[in-house]
Amino acid sequence: MIHFNDVSFTYGAAEGQLPIRAVNHVSFHIKKGSHVALLGRNGSGKSTIARLINGLLVPDEGSVLVDGMDTTDSLDIFEIRRICGMVFQNPDNQLIGATVADDIAFGPCNLELPIDEVNRRVDEALQKAGLSDLRDRAPHHLSGGQKQKLAIASILAMEPECIILDEATSMLDPMSRRSVMELILELKEKSDISIVQITHHMEEAVLADYIYVISDGRISLEGTPAEVFDQFERVHAEGLSVPTHIEIARRIADRTGMPYRPEEIFSFDGAVSFVRGVVASLSPLKGSTDDQDSSAVPFSCEPIVTESRSFGDGSQEIDRESVIEISNLSFSYTSDTGEPVKALDDISLSVSKGEILGILGHTGSGKSTLIQHINGIIPSKKGTVVVLGRDLSDRKTVRDIRRHVGLLFQYPEDQLFEETVALDIAFAPKQLNRTPEQVERAVLGAAKRLGVDAILHRSPFELSGGQRRRVAIAGVLAAEPDIIMMDEPAAGLDPSGRDELFADLMTLVDEGATLLIVSHDMETMARLCDRILILNNGNVAGCGTPREMTSSAEFLKSVSLDIPSSKQFLNCFVDLFPTLDTNCYTAKEAADALVKAIYRR
Amino acid sequence: MKSRSMLGRSVPGTSLIHRLDARVKFIGAIILMVVMLSARDIRILGFFLLWTVSIMIISQIKIRLIMKSVRPLMFIIIFAMLLHLFTVEGHVLLQLGILKISREGLISGGLTALRLVLMVINTSMFLTLTTTPLAIADALESLLSPLRLLRFPVHEFAMMMSIALRFVPTLLDEADKIMKAQSSRGADYDTGGPLRRIRGLVSILVPLFISSFRRADDLAIAMEARCYRGGTSRTRLHASKLSAIDIVFSFLLLGLLLLVFAVEPLLPPLVWI
Repeated sequence: MIHFNDVSFTYGAAEGQLPIRAVNHVSFHIKKGSHVALLGRNGSGKSTIARLINGLLVPDEGSVLVDGMDTTDSLDIFEIRRICGMVFQNPDNQLIGATVADDIAFGPCNLELPIDEVNRRVDEALQKAGLSDLRDRAPHHLSGGQKQKLAIASILAMEPECIILDEATSMLDPMSRRSVMELILELKEKSDISIVQITHHMEEAVLADYIYVISDGRISLEGTPAEVFDQFERVHAEGLSVPTHIEIARRIADRTGMPYRPEEIFSFDGAVSFVRGVVASLSPLKGSTDDQDSSAVPFSCEPIVTESRSFGDGSQEIDRESVIEISNLSFSYTSDTGEPVKALDDISLSVSKGEILGILGHTGSGKSTLIQHINGIIPSKKGTVVVLGRDLSDRKTVRDIRRHVGLLFQYPEDQLFEETVALDIAFAPKQLNRTPEQVERAVLGAAKRLGVDAILHRSPFELSGGQRRRVAIAGVLAAEPDIIMMDEPAAGLDPSGRDELFADLMTLVDEGATLLIVSHDMETMARLCDRILILNNGNVAGCGTPREMTSSAEFLKSVSLDIPSSKQFLNCFVDLFPTLDTNCYTAKEAADALVKAIYRR
Repeated sequence: MKSRSMLGRSVPGTSLIHRLDARVKFIGAIILMVVMLSARDIRILGFFLLWTVSIMIISQIKIRLIMKSVRPLMFIIIFAMLLHLFTVEGHVLLQLGILKISREGLISGGLTALRLVLMVINTSMFLTLTTTPLAIADALESLLSPLRLLRFPVHEFAMMMSIALRFVPTLLDEADKIMKAQSSRGADYDTGGPLRRIRGLVSILVPLFISSFRRADDLAIAMEARCYRGGTSRTRLHASKLSAIDIVFSFLLLGLLLLVFAVEPLLPPLVWI
């Protein structure tokens, strides 16, 4: 139903700016009823392709046809947009109506349908998206996931043949993301609707029938998900990641030379049974006498962090200086509907100098509220917060302590305001009345660490999203804080952008800084952190090493977190290798551990 | 997240007040404002108190939410009351230095406060609390539609209004977040010289403007993607015809106007004033 014939598109060609070729001679065809995923780095041209489909942009060269209609034909453009509904990334910026029902009615009203038909479609869309109870709610009273479902419902009311999801789940937490995806799949199942999905999340990409990987405005890789992810090195080179089970199975196939079919290891269970097959064929003496020997030496695959830093084993913590002491902290506020909400309930926590603490929990568990207490943005009313040995109940102390405690909010690029990158990064050190030389040194240091030192003279507003993120982080680090707290620093970045950013941030710890990272992503946190604090409904659900916190899948499920996928994979082999250390948080480590275990047998 | 003003936040419901036509409510709110401010006689004001209480009961809105809409204006109400209390000459009840409180001042101050409170409750009752911003915008569009003859873009104006109202809570949250973020970077909005404070303000306003522009841009694209093309041929969602309750209510309003401007001058003065 969608045909791209040798399409090119260049931004800024008309306005006399530096032209940027976003899409470069792209041709493809999307069949009716299919589910296609577009993957690629931030800025690779995926969103531009999406906007070319429904005529929000028109090609400079080539043509785009939707059901035989050309998007450059101004008479057909509204029919094309009706056929191809689009859900955007930011839940707040695409809802127009003052209530849920009004928003759904917006599209049908634009189609000039009779009022009875508009109302019928609103009811139908509400019911399809499972939002009937929220009919008269105002959009700002909805959760992120509900907002995105509303955006989908609003498109359904126009009876489209295709839904384009432009990173529609990237600003959601894992739980809402899953429930939005469930809705999408249900729609696809029930009606013959096509899905074009742009995403950074590989667990969403595997659901597609076909994948196009876009890089520098071209299709650099395409195929069924099984075919694409089979080339895991190419996929990594494109800045993307591969579902962990596929990568583990592939690495084991490579190392052992066992033949496999890409389709066979595509599903989690398939990958597990393939590896079990490998084990069975390579160790025919299963259950023999050398069991004793293997149990004496555990197959270990220490996470990288613990190897180099040997911290957080619990034993060495005693002589560490404590920098944050929170005792019996509670906090509640009044919601819009007038009911009191308990955001934090009797939290006690102690953080040592140089520690990396991951704070995890689902949306609304109190993570952000907790870190905002630590630099006094929220004054502590019940309970005490002592930071660097000073009690934050005194307002004067708070002002003083803020220069030692950096706090990075979610989507920090929204707080940039100066004319140049250098001035913006200099804001914090200037506020601290440092000398010009000190300010300059701090700015350069922070910019270098985040790799933005080459763009110091540019305006922050002409940078890409990823660069703006890095500038904003540099702006917090320039104050040279001892404790750095970050709320989802990698949200919305592509997989390799995320890994690179975390690698840069981890250099802070070598210089003695203490890091507190708020996240939903158990896998990354388990890899990076010394200790993990899990919050649930304002309570501490658990606190300990990644090893302790990820040991029980039931526990993680009860607090709506995911078990790291490499660990989940290894857990399927503890019956074969009782001494297998399952604390691996990357596919490579997990594959290494399994190969070692297989050959030891 | 936190509760701020009630601006642009309607409370859903199905009461008689909620079901009134937004155009009637809009004009009604203006009429009520006029009559409440014009009423002088304590008996008439007493009747308005009764009217307001009945409206509050009929609307089924929690009293706490109604009071929230009065709170932002409390300062002005108290100021007006004190002004009357100390400036109206008459039978002196209490003397504090040069300040004199007279019986007349006390009554006049009390009546002023009552008048203002009733006015605020009535207008927020009919406009902000029971009417969605979109319905108000639609009502405005309908009421302003004669201006179309003068080439005034009535539909676009109404759409602009409703979107502005829709984004008030979003922008308040955003401002709150940016302020916290800049405070974390050492910005100080309470102390320091005027220059420093203005700089502090810049660090909030610039990001807020920029993000508003970006939102506007995103929203325009989202609207376009949903086939919006401006103009007047869109289906009007809330194009309701006037119903029986609208007509009854219109007569009630007419009654109130007559009460204040025709009956009040005829009432015999109260002896004790």
